[in-house]
Amino acid sequence: MASSPDHNHTLNGDSNTHASKKPKLSFITPSEIAAEFSHHDPTVARINNGSFGSCPDSVLQAQRRWQLKYLSQPDHFYFNHLQAGILHSRTLIRDLINADHVDEVSIVDNATTAAAIVLQQAAWGFSESKFEQGDAVVMLHYAYGAVKKSIEAYVTRAGGHVIEVPLPFPLNSNDEIVTEFKKALEKGKANGRRVRLAVIDHITSMPCVVIPVKELVKICREEGVDQVFVDAAHSIGCTEVDMKDIGADYYTSNLHKWLFCPPSIAFLYCRKSPKGVELHHPVVSHEYGNGLAIESAWIGTRDYSPQLVVPAVLDFVNRFEGGIEGIKKRNHETVVEMGQMLAKAWGTHLGCPPEMCASMVMIGLPACLGISSEKDTLKLRTHLREKFAVEVPIYFRPPKNGEVESLTGYCRISHQVYNKVDDYYKFRDAINQLVSDGFTCALLSN
Amino acid sequence: MACRIIMFYRYYVAHLRLCHQNIQILKPKLSFRISRASSYHYYHNLNPTDTQTNFPIKPKLSSFITDSEIEAEFSHHDPGVARINNGSFGCSPAFVISELQQWQLKWLRQPDHFLFNELHKGILKSRNTVKELINAEDVDEISIVDNATTAVAIVLQQMQWAFFEGKFKKGDAVIILQCAYGAVKNSIKAYFLRAGGYVIEVPFQFPVNSSEEIISEFRMALVKEKASGRRVRLAMIDHVTSMPSVVLPVKKLVKVCREEGVDQVFIDGAHGVGCVDVDMQEIGADFYTSNLHKWFFCPASVAFLYCRKSVTHLELHHPMVSHDYGKGLAIESSWIGTRDYSPSLVVPSVVEFTNRFEGGIEGIKRRNHDAVVEMGKMLAKAWGTNLGSPPDMCASMIMVRLPACLGISSNDDALKLRTHLREQFGVEVPIYYQMPKHEEVATTTGYARISYQVYNKIDDYYKFRDAINQLVCDGFTCAQSLGKYGLPSS
Repeated sequence: MASSPDHNHTLNGDSNTHASKKPKLSFITPSEIAAEFSHHDPTVARINNGSFGSCPDSVLQAQRRWQLKYLSQPDHFYFNHLQAGILHSRTLIRDLINADHVDEVSIVDNATTAAAIVLQQAAWGFSESKFEQGDAVVMLHYAYGAVKKSIEAYVTRAGGHVIEVPLPFPLNSNDEIVTEFKKALEKGKANGRRVRLAVIDHITSMPCVVIPVKELVKICREEGVDQVFVDAAHSIGCTEVDMKDIGADYYTSNLHKWLFCPPSIAFLYCRKSPKGVELHHPVVSHEYGNGLAIESAWIGTRDYSPQLVVPAVLDFVNRFEGGIEGIKKRNHETVVEMGQMLAKAWGTHLGCPPEMCASMVMIGLPACLGISSEKDTLKLRTHLREKFAVEVPIYFRPPKNGEVESLTGYCRISHQVYNKVDDYYKFRDAINQLVSDGFTCALLSN
Repeated sequence: MACRIIMFYRYYVAHLRLCHQNIQILKPKLSFRISRASSYHYYHNLNPTDTQTNFPIKPKLSSFITDSEIEAEFSHHDPGVARINNGSFGCSPAFVISELQQWQLKWLRQPDHFLFNELHKGILKSRNTVKELINAEDVDEISIVDNATTAVAIVLQQMQWAFFEGKFKKGDAVIILQCAYGAVKNSIKAYFLRAGGYVIEVPFQFPVNSSEEIISEFRMALVKEKASGRRVRLAMIDHVTSMPSVVLPVKKLVKVCREEGVDQVFIDGAHGVGCVDVDMQEIGADFYTSNLHKWFFCPASVAFLYCRKSVTHLELHHPMVSHDYGKGLAIESSWIGTRDYSPSLVVPSVVEFTNRFEGGIEGIKRRNHDAVVEMGKMLAKAWGTNLGSPPDMCASMIMVRLPACLGISSNDDALKLRTHLREQFGVEVPIYYQMPKHEEVATTTGYARISYQVYNKIDDYYKFRDAINQLVCDGFTCAQSLGKYGLPSS
C-alpha cells in the first residue's frame, strides 16, 4: 500500500494544459482500447452509451489516485489540493467549449443539477416579483423527463406558464423544428406575457435528434426571450460545443456520457453579462455568495474525484487520431452506417436524416413486434437484455390520427470507441429472431 | 500510570484471550491498490442476499478485531501525521473501501442492468439499516442524501416555499444557536432570510459549564419572541456543535421547543451517528440529519435525513429534481441523475465492520469517549490549561485550551497555527479562536479540538503535546512567528 500520497503525473506539470490535438506517431491500438474497457461486461452488446456513458481504465486509475490522496490526509487535501484541481478542470473545460472566461464555467454533478440551478433562479424570479404570474417558460415536447419535472417543481409551482413545443417524429429537416418553435414563442407572448426562459435540448434524449440550437437561440433573441438555457446533456464529446457560436445564456453538458469521465461530472456555463443574474447552488455551504463556480466547488464533504480527472481524460482522448474531434467524427460515421445496416435488415427506416444525428441514431423496429405503449418498450428492452444480452433503449412513438402503417417502436443505438460491428449484428439477429418467432410485446407478461 | 492500565486493558486483554485459539481472521482486501484492468474482474463476496439485514450487536467471543488488523484497515492513512481530527472528514477502513469499489465496478460493468435491477434494492437496504441504527419507526422516514449540508438545504427550501405560498408570514422566525455551523447559517440566509423570515440567534457561552446554562438561554430567547408575538416556525439545533465542540442536551431542548410553541425542530446531528446516542424516539425531533462518513466509517459521502411521519408531514423535495419527483423525499433522493451512488450502498457493510469490535458501535463510542477525555486531560495537564467543557458534554471530541503565550488572537491566527502544526510537526488538529470576554484579563483565546477514533494511538496525542511544548519553549507567538501569510519568519 502506498504509505504516502502517490505522486501523480497528471497533477502537476501536466503535458496537456490545453485541449489542442497533438498528433502522435503511435495512436492507441484496438487491443489497447479493448484493455481500457475490459471492465465492461463482455457478454453484452453495449449499444447504449448515450444513457450512462463509459470510462476507460486509465481514467479510473487517475480517479483512484485522487481518492487515495483524499483518504490519506483529507485535511491537507482540502486545504492544498482540491481547489487547484477543480480550477484546472474548469480551465480545460473552458478551452474545450470556447468560453471566454473560466468564471463562466462551474462544475456540477450532472445536467439534472444544472437544470435545478437555472430553474431555481427562475422560481426566485417569480417569488421576488421580478417575473409576473403567468410569464412563460418554453420547452420542447421532447425535453428530458427529469427536466420537465424540474420545470414543474420550480416554474409551474411558482406561478409560471409552461409552453411545450410539439415536434414531429420522424423528422425530415431542421425547418420542422424551427417552425414549431416560432409558433410556441408566439403563444408565449400572447396576452402581453413575457417569455422569461427558453429551455432547449441540444440533443434530445428520446427520441434522439440534434436540434439546431444556434438558430433557435437567434430566434429567441429576435423574439425578446429573456434567457436561453441549452440542456446539452449529451453534447460534449458527441457534437459541436462552442459557447460563443451557440450564444446561449446557460449551457450544460455531462462529461460522463461522451467524454469518458467517471460518474459524475458536468459543467454549467453561464455567460457573463451586464444583466448578471446571480445563480446559486441549491446545496448552500461556506462559499455562498462567492459566485456559482466557487459555491459548486465545495458543497460539503463528498467525493470530488470525478471532477478532478479531466486532465487524465484529455490525455486519453489525445491518444486517438484526431483527438476528441476524430472520435466524434468516427462515432458519427459508424453509427449512421450501423443504423442504415439495421434499417435495411429489418425493412424499416431511420428516425431522422443522418445530418440530424451525432453518435446516436433512431431506427424503426419492425411493426409486427407490436409495440403499443411505453410499457411495451420497457418490457421489450428488458427482454432484449435478459434473453439476447443486448442493451438498447426503445422509444414508443404513438400513431397520429389518420396515419396508416406508421412504425410505433424505435430503438436508439449509440456508437462509442469500444463498440464493435458484432454488437450491432447481435442486435440485428435478435430482432430478426423475434420477428421470425412471431413475437409480439403482448406476449410478455407484466 | 492509570492511563497506561486503561490502554493495556483495551488493547491487550482482548488479544490475550485470543492468542491460544485458532482464529478466523478476516483479512481486509486492500484491493484499492492501483492495478491493471484485468484485476477489476475480481469480485469480492458482494452478496445481494447478505445476512446482515439487521444488527443487534453480536459480540463475537472468539474473534474481535485485533490491533494489527485495525492498523491494516487504516494503513492508507498518512503514517507521518498525527491524525487527531476525525471530526472534520471522518475515515473509512480498507474493508469498506473495497466494498465501495465493488459497487462501483458493478455499475461500470453494466450500468443499465445496475440501475434497473440493483440500485434501488441496495439503497432500500441502506435505509433499513439506518432505520434500525437510529430507532426510527418506519423506513419511509429515512432518506439518504450526500451530507448534512444537503439535508439542511432540503428542509430550508421547503420553508422558502412556505413563505412564498403564504403558509408562513414575513417575519416568522427560525431559532438557532450562535455556535451553529457556518454553512448552516449561510443556508438559512439563502433560503429563510431571503424569503422574508427572521433569525433568532441564541448566545452561546464557551467554555461551557453545564447543560443548564444552554437550556436556560434557549428558553429565555423563545419566551422573549413569544411575548413579542413572533411565530417560531423552526428550531435548528446542533446535536454536537462543530467549533467549539460540545454535546448539546437535544432531548431537553426539543422539549423546551414543544413547551414554547415552536412549530418544528430540526436537529443537525452532522457528527451524530457513531459519536453520540442517536435515538429518534428518545430525541423526539421532527427532522434529524447525520453524516455517516464522519463517525460511522462510511466513505465520502453519505448521510441521512430523518423526517418524522407522525407530525403533519410537510412536503419535502430534493432540490435536484428528477424522474421521481413527487414520490416522496426518500424515493426522490435515490435517483437525482447519473452519479456514483456507491457510498450510499455500503452502509450494511459498515455494520459488518463495526460488529468486529467488542460491543459493536456502542463499544466503539464508549471507548472513543473514554480515550478522548483521557487524552484531553493529559494535554491540559501537560500545558497547564483546561478543558472547554465537562467530560459529560463531550462525545468523541474534546476542546483543550492552548497555552495563552501562543498569542492566538484571531480566526486567522487559528488557521495559521493549524497550518504550522501540519507542516512543521505533522499534527492535524483544528484550532478554535475564542474571543475573550471583556472581564477576562489573561487571553484565553485558543482551543484545540481533538478527536479519538479507533485508529488513533496515544503517540498521536504525545506528538501534539510535544509540538505545543516545543512552540512554547521556543517563545513562539502567532503574530511574530508566523508572518502575514502564515509562513514561519526566518
